[in-house]
Amino acid sequence: MLVLSRQRDESIVIGEEIVVTIVDIRGDKVRLGIEAPTEVPVHRREVFEAIQAENLRASQLGAKEVRGLGQPRSTACSNARRG
Amino acid sequence: MEVQTTRFGRVEFAAEDVFCFPEGLPGLAACRDWVILSEGNDAAVAWLQSVQRPEIGLAVVCPRRFVPGYRLRVARRELVPLELDTPKGALLLAVVTKTARALALNLRAPVVINLDRRLGRQVTARGSLPMQHELDNTPALKKTA
Repeated sequence: MLVLSRQRDESIVIGEEIVVTIVDIRGDKVRLGIEAPTEVPVHRREVFEAIQAENLRASQLGAKEVRGLGQPRSTACSNARRG
Repeated sequence: MEVQTTRFGRVEFAAEDVFCFPEGLPGLAACRDWVILSEGNDAAVAWLQSVQRPEIGLAVVCPRRFVPGYRLRVARRELVPLELDTPKGALLLAVVTKTARALALNLRAPVVINLDRRLGRQVTARGSLPMQHELDNTPALKKTA
């Protein structure tokens, strides 16, 4: 891992388009400002990992398990289909 | 076009039925193209079915049907790739997951779909919404004894 020391209001640049700025430092908490193209997802790591785990768990659900909530039919939603 | 799904067998769809998730979903980054399988307007559950991976499908519901008052607050940045300025006019779906006890909804990271542009994205809501909002009276809660 690359480790860099920065002070408040200093930044690092990642590639051409991503800038991470140290906005504030209070005790053991650091506030970061992140400028990145909108197509680059930015997540708190633990939140991202939790969403990953939840999606993988959700993708294991069988059709029968949610049948009490409603029953799908195996045809595509056709509201945008054109003749 | 068609996909031989694990859950529902062969599903046919038109190219216009496909929703593009340019980033995929967290944990499912390779799954960019999805179709929505539904029984009709009255069904509570629909399935977001991956076109690329026939075994990947996510049960989704309209969160307000189960959690009255649910409201998505999200950073504007999250909606830009969807070419949406506000969540209004978008289709908002919660992914159904399960805990050891019950079915649950991921209220923290709902799927937002721009129906006009056929674009989708799983966003992270602001605030402290649960990733596992357990549903009462779900099938998994029923006692078998």
